Amino acid sequence: MRFSQSLGQVALAGFALVAVPLMAVSQRGSFGGGYGPALTVVKPAKVFATSDEHYKYLLQQAKGGTKHSITSVPRWDGLWVTAGNTHMDMFIDPPGFTGKVRSGVLTPPYEAAYKERWRQQQELGEVQYDRLTHCEPPGYPRWLLEPYTHEFVNLPQESYMINDYGPGIRRVYIGKEHSNVYGTHSWYGDTIGFWDGARLVTSTKYLLPADFTRWSPMTSNQFESVETWELKRYPGDIERLEVQVTFYDKHAFVTPVSAVYAFRRAKELEAAGHRVQHWECEGSSNDFLVNGTTSSRLPGEEGFKDPRGSTMFPDLPGQSRDPIFNTVLPTKPAQ
Amino acid sequence: MKRILSFFLAVMTALLLTTVVSVAHHSFTMFDKSTEKVATGTLARWTFNNPHSWLYLNVKNKDGSETLWSFEGSSPTTLLQRGITGTTFEYGKTYTVLYCPLKDGRPGGGIGWVKLPDGTFINPADGGCSGSAETIERWKGWLAKGYTSNIEAQAAQKAQGGK
Repeated sequence: MRFSQSLGQVALAGFALVAVPLMAVSQRGSFGGGYGPALTVVKPAKVFATSDEHYKYLLQQAKGGTKHSITSVPRWDGLWVTAGNTHMDMFIDPPGFTGKVRSGVLTPPYEAAYKERWRQQQELGEVQYDRLTHCEPPGYPRWLLEPYTHEFVNLPQESYMINDYGPGIRRVYIGKEHSNVYGTHSWYGDTIGFWDGARLVTSTKYLLPADFTRWSPMTSNQFESVETWELKRYPGDIERLEVQVTFYDKHAFVTPVSAVYAFRRAKELEAAGHRVQHWECEGSSNDFLVNGTTSSRLPGEEGFKDPRGSTMFPDLPGQSRDPIFNTVLPTKPAQ
Repeated sequence: MKRILSFFLAVMTALLLTTVVSVAHHSFTMFDKSTEKVATGTLARWTFNNPHSWLYLNVKNKDGSETLWSFEGSSPTTLLQRGITGTTFEYGKTYTVLYCPLKDGRPGGGIGWVKLPDGTFINPADGGCSGSAETIERWKGWLAKGYTSNIEAQAAQKAQGGK
């Protein structure tokens, strides 16, 4: 009887452990949410006109920042995956994917452009065009939202924030000023930062126009952000990196907007022996755009890329990209 | 008690299968997500590559010929979180898959669930079709009745008064 009761308690506990995260996953805009308590946005202490003002204020509050050594700098080792966000709350009225675009958050041209995306999402169930289909880099701010495997390497003078998708690598130059020697903007921009104890505060500028996701607003070449990163631990052995972000974009936003994004330690990936590999796209993606709509190429069709086929030198031994199974796909169109 | 425990474990497994949210680098507008079909064939290729995995099956036609069908699934990182790896499928073995077909009629689709030779169902789906626990459970009943599309199953249910 006692054994049966224990079994029941174990089952119920397990059910709760799974069901509770699942309920939280249904939060709008949440990729992999539900690990730890609900995310809450911490808005800036006051309204800042620019990201520069915001960053300088935080640096002053931190009295110039904490100078970490290689032994004291916070470590965020291991593999991480997205763990929820409040992203959609910035732009969509509840309830999430069936809600409406909130008026007055985006500037008129950006709001009109976003409403067309949202119309497709609601009426067609999909936004037809995604700039990533032709292997464009996700860039920033999309980096914050994209799932897949993240790694964080903190050194006293620099932090590396890596997503295997792309791959997308952000470099945070600690204690430095912004610099742009290329004379243009880039996908991940220029990020500087400082440590405030165990919290990492960053400023990102000089970004190319992009978007958050295909079902989110576009961003302009004046998009900037201030982020505060902090590792938090919760019951259930949950480690969660929480990122409070305020976005500035004089072309896209009427006033700055704030959200919180999270990443959790991906212990299941570590247990599975996952090794992060180079992200393939140009040589393996068979999705393409035709008349603004996404489609896929199948084996044998013109333009099909076989990521497990041979190199350009198939007559040489050892040129298969499928060395374990040595499979071959047909070169003629399927009947 | 064992039955209750089994039920809870089954529910937990089902919930875990649906916990991972599918996201991808492209729109899924090319797939007809309102249509679910079942195909059975032998494995020609399991491309466990970024940004998307693809399962290729040789499926026999009514006239005895074979057609290579292509089914798009989620990324390796996402699938690893569901216990699916680059060696989950064995070449030459027979698999049954649920898919949402390409709207243009070519032999392919977004993959839903896959039934392994031992009868186990797994979920390699991305956003192109559902491989969720709910979909698997619904289809277990429909497969037992011999249905191979949701339209066929729903029509039969309607004819029987919703049973």
